[in-house]
Amino acid sequence: MFDLLAQTGLNALYAASYISLVAVGLVLIFGVMGVVNFAHGELFMAGAYVVVALYAGGGAPFLLAVAAGLGFVGLLGLLMEFALFRPLRDNPLGGLVASIGFLMILQATAVMGFGVRMEHIPPVTQEVIAFSEKVRLPMSRLYVIVAAVVLLGALWYFLKRTRFGWALRASAQDAEAAALQGISIGQTARIAMFIGAGLAGVAGALTAPLVSVNPHMGHSVIVTAFIVIIVGGVGSLEGAVVASVAYAFVHTLVTTFWDGVIADIVGLSLMLVVLIVKPTGLFGTADRA
Amino acid sequence: MFLELDNVAVSYGKVSAVRGISMRVDEGRIVAIVGANGAGKSTTLRAISGIAPVKSGEIRFAGDRIDRMPAHRIVGRGIAHVPEGRRIFPDLTVAENLRTGAFLRRDKPAVEADLEAVYARFPRLRERRGQLAKTMSGGEQQMLAIGRALMAKPKLLLMDEPSMGLAPIIVEEIARIIEEISRDGVTVLLVEQNAELALDLADYAYVLEVGSVALEGPADELHDNDHVRAAYLGI
Repeated sequence: MFDLLAQTGLNALYAASYISLVAVGLVLIFGVMGVVNFAHGELFMAGAYVVVALYAGGGAPFLLAVAAGLGFVGLLGLLMEFALFRPLRDNPLGGLVASIGFLMILQATAVMGFGVRMEHIPPVTQEVIAFSEKVRLPMSRLYVIVAAVVLLGALWYFLKRTRFGWALRASAQDAEAAALQGISIGQTARIAMFIGAGLAGVAGALTAPLVSVNPHMGHSVIVTAFIVIIVGGVGSLEGAVVASVAYAFVHTLVTTFWDGVIADIVGLSLMLVVLIVKPTGLFGTADRA
Repeated sequence: MFLELDNVAVSYGKVSAVRGISMRVDEGRIVAIVGANGAGKSTTLRAISGIAPVKSGEIRFAGDRIDRMPAHRIVGRGIAHVPEGRRIFPDLTVAENLRTGAFLRRDKPAVEADLEAVYARFPRLRERRGQLAKTMSGGEQQMLAIGRALMAKPKLLLMDEPSMGLAPIIVEEIARIIEEISRDGVTVLLVEQNAELALDLADYAYVLEVGSVALEGPADELHDNDHVRAAYLGI
């Protein structure tokens, strides 16, 4: 029993890692742009396909492919800012609808480029850390966990300790007041889109060898991310991370002891309970909700 | 001419908020804009700092036209704006709020010196520098908003209703601070509904009514003007 719990904990930690990367990016984009980015799951998918193309197809080193995933999907974020969100500034609903359109474009592009089949990606490593007979952590999962901790740490440092980090938080809190301090709203929007999209891309790239990569893989990812940011409190980065960990543990536990469908039901029910008890989410404040 | 508005008009959609205002602010002065709610006082300040779109007319500052510049570039020219309702960043700490005011400045030692100067001027801010701005009282938030604007090292300070919602004793303190800032060589353009306070502080004043300048003159003259006394001073 203890072994099973420990193993479940490790699995949950892995799930929490990539979910929080996706969710934090989504929150960042929402905070700065004021737009709910429905294409976020497809940015995750795009990151995975960068690994398909460069690592599985092109034979590039895995880490290089992951870095390329971050960069490429970050650029997709910049494209979205330029083509969709900038013309639709002050129109959050328009931005949301445009992001749904972009989601479809990305899916169709993936289908046209790679087909609807599931991609086979050779494992990065077969090594496993065995804590005991039954408690094992594959190295490939440890990589994801370490990468998530490093990236979220770097983001935290950027937001709390650098001039542009302050600027980003300031414009998320009050864009007009930020402009009055000399902060260019266009510039903070581009930074937020690059980082937010890039985090989704890197999460997709990191997990590509461990999940089934197909053009529609973004769907379940975005549903999970939405649950997590609602539970965490829309607009709160800390909330997104905490809720990612909590959700991953509950979901993984229920999946292990019952099954995945029940786990989805439990996850959604938890969101409902949080919305009833604390409508602003765990870390949300009333004015941001 | 330091700041000059020439027949400036601003409208929000079809509603015109300011209809052809001309104004001049001389360097080193305190100039006040008084008027009722909706007279266009705030809109005038917002047009100067670039967050309200100027429909027609010209705004010139230190010789250059600024009415087509984005807000973040106007700050770089030396105009800081303490907006109506303070608009501090609620989830940044006091110190972080102050540092965002110096966002465009690269002269690090001078920024640190100015931060010290702001803390010296507002000891409460030093005490609370690690605290989130939203946890402070209204008066403290107003001081933070003023301190944040001073961190930009402005030549011209726009202040929108700094006395709004504050207790009389705090209002007195704010008035004292405005005089100090002016003595330090910063030109102040002050918008106030509290006409008594504004005319006390200012050298020169404009009275706005429904988007136009109804009266202008030296502040002490306006203070004795019958229309101003009846309409704005309640005497």
